[in-house]
Amino acid sequence: MAALNLNMLTENASRLGMRLQETLSEHTRDLAIARGTGSAYLDNPEEKVKNIAKQLDSNSDREKLEAMKRLIALISRGRNVSEFFAQVVKNVASHNLEIRKLVYIYLLRYAEQEPDLALLSINTFQKDLSDPNPLIRAMALRVLSGIKVPMIGSIVVLAIKKCAADISPYVRKAAALAIPKIYHLDSTHQPELINIICTLLKDQSPLSIGSVAVAFEAVCPTRLDLLHQHYRRLCRTLIDVDEWGQVDLLNLLIRYARVMLPRPIPSNESGSNTQFEVDSDLRLLLTSAEPLFQSQNPAVVLAVARVFYYLGPPTDLPKIVPPLLRLLHVSSEVERVILTNLVLISSTVSDVLAKSYTHLLVRADDSRQVKKNKIQLLRSVVNADNYTSLLREFICYADDADDDLVADSIQAIGYIARIVPESTQQCLTALMSFIQSKHDVIVTNAVLVLKSLVQIRMQQQQSIIALGGLPPQTFSPLDIISRLARRIDELRHPKARACVVWLVGQYAASLPTTENGHTPLGPEGIAPWAPDVLRKMAKSFQQEASHVKLQIITLAAKLLVLNPSDRTIGLLNRYIFSLARYDLDYDVRDRGRTLSALLAGVNANIYGENDDAHEDVGGVVLRREQVRVVLFEGKSNPAEDVAKDGKQHFSSSTSRHHGKQTHAYIAAEDDHGRFGSLAAITGRWTGSDNYLPDWLEEGTESSLRDSEADMPQVLAYTSQSSTAARSIAGPAASRASPVILTPTGRASPAGSIVRQEGTKAAYMDLDKFYEDTEETEESEESGSEGDDDSDEEEDEEASGEEEDAAARSPGGGSESSGDEDESEDDSADENSHLQGTTR
Amino acid sequence: MAIDGLIILDNAGRVIAQSGFHSFPAAYPLLHIDALNNALANASRSDDVDPVLYVPGINLDTPSACCHVKRGDLRYLCPVSGDVDPLYAFAFLQTFVDILHEYFGHVSAETLKENFDVVYQLLEETLDAGGHPLTTSPNALRDIVLPPTLLHKVLSVAGVSGLATSSANSHPFASPIPWRKAGVRYNNNEIFFDVVETLDAIVNKNGTTAVSSVWGRVESNCKLSGTPDLLLTFSNASTLNDCSFHPCVRLQRWSRDKVLSFVPPDGKFKLMEYRYTPVSASSLNQVSVPFILRPAVKVEDHGGSIEVVLSSRLTTRTMENVFVELYLGEGATGASCLASHNASWSFNPRTLSLVWELKTVVPSASYTLRGTFTSSNEMPRPSRAFRVRFEIPQHNFSALKIEQLKLTGETYKPYKGMRGNSLGDIEWRW
Repeated sequence: MAALNLNMLTENASRLGMRLQETLSEHTRDLAIARGTGSAYLDNPEEKVKNIAKQLDSNSDREKLEAMKRLIALISRGRNVSEFFAQVVKNVASHNLEIRKLVYIYLLRYAEQEPDLALLSINTFQKDLSDPNPLIRAMALRVLSGIKVPMIGSIVVLAIKKCAADISPYVRKAAALAIPKIYHLDSTHQPELINIICTLLKDQSPLSIGSVAVAFEAVCPTRLDLLHQHYRRLCRTLIDVDEWGQVDLLNLLIRYARVMLPRPIPSNESGSNTQFEVDSDLRLLLTSAEPLFQSQNPAVVLAVARVFYYLGPPTDLPKIVPPLLRLLHVSSEVERVILTNLVLISSTVSDVLAKSYTHLLVRADDSRQVKKNKIQLLRSVVNADNYTSLLREFICYADDADDDLVADSIQAIGYIARIVPESTQQCLTALMSFIQSKHDVIVTNAVLVLKSLVQIRMQQQQSIIALGGLPPQTFSPLDIISRLARRIDELRHPKARACVVWLVGQYAASLPTTENGHTPLGPEGIAPWAPDVLRKMAKSFQQEASHVKLQIITLAAKLLVLNPSDRTIGLLNRYIFSLARYDLDYDVRDRGRTLSALLAGVNANIYGENDDAHEDVGGVVLRREQVRVVLFEGKSNPAEDVAKDGKQHFSSSTSRHHGKQTHAYIAAEDDHGRFGSLAAITGRWTGSDNYLPDWLEEGTESSLRDSEADMPQVLAYTSQSSTAARSIAGPAASRASPVILTPTGRASPAGSIVRQEGTKAAYMDLDKFYEDTEETEESEESGSEGDDDSDEEEDEEASGEEEDAAARSPGGGSESSGDEDESEDDSADENSHLQGTTR
Repeated sequence: MAIDGLIILDNAGRVIAQSGFHSFPAAYPLLHIDALNNALANASRSDDVDPVLYVPGINLDTPSACCHVKRGDLRYLCPVSGDVDPLYAFAFLQTFVDILHEYFGHVSAETLKENFDVVYQLLEETLDAGGHPLTTSPNALRDIVLPPTLLHKVLSVAGVSGLATSSANSHPFASPIPWRKAGVRYNNNEIFFDVVETLDAIVNKNGTTAVSSVWGRVESNCKLSGTPDLLLTFSNASTLNDCSFHPCVRLQRWSRDKVLSFVPPDGKFKLMEYRYTPVSASSLNQVSVPFILRPAVKVEDHGGSIEVVLSSRLTTRTMENVFVELYLGEGATGASCLASHNASWSFNPRTLSLVWELKTVVPSASYTLRGTFTSSNEMPRPSRAFRVRFEIPQHNFSALKIEQLKLTGETYKPYKGMRGNSLGDIEWRW
């Protein structure tokens, strides 16, 4: 009894101690009482530095620890402390873990710089590979692989081999990560390293598998055939892998699938919703990856999006949009990256994006790049249903303090006017109101957009008239020009002025149809508003910027050609050409000279009657009609403008005609992995690590991926799982299926889905015959496992093991079984426990 | 494809700590630091610096990029070369920053300098020399790298550091669950949930809401012994969309039953994030903004006048820490305002913005700010929208409730606590 009491007492006391420690540490961390000790190391007087060597040699752990901290502090200040290497190495066998860790940190930094010294202590590292502490084992391997001396390559390979078979997954992970280093040091070790990778691939623990993927990519990226046996297991363990490993593994699996699996093909073209036939192994990858859309790590989400974008059938594409939109709220940096990636794929998913465009509205405090991308995205989702609200948004953005955003949004308004015909009226009203703005940027951009709109409308009108129709009476383009012409004084920006002057000149010829019999006030053949612009511009000619001057000269010449007999225009011309002749800018002088020569046939004496300088220089003199053609025709096609101010959007509108699905294909093939890469963000070439191969003609034999390794694993679980009855059916089915599957595929192609009608006739042609058999083989493998395309069905049938995975984990199975699993697993090996608890 | 390393810079752009960069020329990290400092110096607004900077390599065939984030006073740089997904770098940076917070509580240049040995250990343990993250789960890390605690420091000063380490450190990686420590024991078994929701909204000039969404996160502080298996049921789980979860959550279970089944990590962690979508069809599936802002901004030559009225729409609850902010445009030189109810206002000459701060906004009350501002620009261009941030303590927009928390695998009955808090970040256009 007394003993029991004593026991309880001591237990309570120790608990109290622990509790005290907990609370103490909790509080002190926030209070940061324990100042002083740390920062003291940072100001190292020189004599103390000299002292370090002595301290390292001392017997006291405390002295050593202090010396090590001092060294680390020196490292952090960028000082080279490799002189102490010898003394530090001696301490690698210290009994104090704290010291050892610091020693290893030091060694990790300097082993590369002092390979000779490191070599001297190589025995110590090798000994540490057998240390009971996995941390030390891993550290030792990391230091060993960090010594860059090709001579010891084989020793390191041996060490990696030893660690690859370690019981701790952490050490195995370190082994996998050491492989690329030794490979870069000496690539002749490749065969041995590949062997180690193969061993590691068999690792059942999901902890190290991500690093194995890294090693694989570094050592033997082309040996995808090594993955056959492991592919299905890798897919299934994907969810248990740590987040960084998930990214690496997914990128590896994408490449594997591109090279080894058949591409999803449209199975039945029934109207609008095309069904796609997806190989069961590919489907396995997609279904295993899909839950990871819910990862908290944005890199994982993007990696999964890559899987769906590059591998999934187009019908699955919409799935990638909501997770990506969710990431916009994670942090501003993530937002910036995701938006650029969304822009890349916007043409293929614009339908889905259009539904949730409100997530993309621009906030006044967004960063520049974000604003730019959001506008691009908003443009790409404009359609007849949402244009009113988007137009309202764009009008709002025109008031932004950021000039780029103003320009982009006004151009976007022009874009809306172009692609949604019923919006033209509203867009023009908005644009016209911008012209009155006090801010230069707004006015300039509005004018530029109006210009291209006018050009397009003019073309349309002409084509309508050419077809014998009546021009639409609402907001004729000439009306816009006349308004702009009247407002020329309010426009201050040279670019805008030049633009209006050009417009006035280009469309000054009044159409005979618009006059309706009664003659307008102005000179004959010229729109009434044009000569006044010329008058105003002549007055201000000298103050204008040179590209405005160029346009004024052109305007003068055009009006003269339209009506050579009008006296006022003649006089204005003479005035302008005289000014141009003596302008400071040689471009203006050149333009003046060119046009005056051109106009020789229209008005021989453009510089005035008593101008001696003008003399007949011979050559061809053009007639008025010819000059008119030269001046007015062959202007740049407005459609080019459209393409220029947004290639992205132009292509998106063309995709509308081709149909989304074909376009998705083209996009996925063209960019070879740009989606989710650094190159997409910086817009520059950044190496080609992410290069994605094209799909192969057909996939490889699916039986290659049937692995014996799968079977015992499954059985091991069924023995543990309380839902044994359910899972026994699983392995049985999966074991049976490959046996039946392959021969039937060869023997009778009856189950084929994609087979064209009239196959018998096709057999006459030998080439077609071969094509056809290949096709049937391939479809057979996937077809016989689950003919229906519905996901649910396929999940159940195609992968019996997967169902097991669900059943064996308490999360997937019934809740009551969960507890039992838990208690059992505690004693079981780590792998099963991990999977048992994960999901 | 890998991260090249990690650099921590202080406010002035000087290095506090950096990882090894073993396989790079010595100038490589400097190149990136310079690239960032130059970009910052050239930008008018520090937010406008692209978080992914292109850095041409020392020799042209190895271009690289510098991914950087600013958290608190510090900047964290992550140089990457080759075609790496920048999100990989950003995710790692965020993880590292979270780890630093976990270790030091408040992270500043001083705390990092004081605990440089821990920072270096963390750098080595989280990032392999080859540029791949190693151990990033806080639970596993705490086994390898001891957090700096008073007790630990006292013991180490007293020269008995072996004692402090031996107990906690005898079995690193002993736990079969990567995110949970093995052998955790508490006398009081308790678990707390903090539900923090943020209302993100844009309100148009005419007062209609252009978009409003509520983003929530459930943060948990778990102090449970052993290996508890929890089953958490929400009363209105169907209103939660676009969820993301801590790796411990069994995703299948959520997609099937909308319940959270998980073995929690020890200590603080972010259990889940979600977007709340109200079910009522009447309000267009939007949460309404809890206040009305009536702004009148007039821009004149070299300045302008501002009058803003803010009235609370709430009937029972009080809004706290309300900040109304307006960027006054380039060249703004100052402002002079009058705020009702003793509220304070200020003009920040660095960000060129006017900030009106209301400590509390009581239910259905109105507050006014009236004043003028001056600018060296002839035609000032203030921001087209006010930014309003607020807090509503003890409140959740979603009214999310924990219906049940079932614990299996252990015998004790834990204490459960739940707390709500709401934030708002509204853009109000004028």
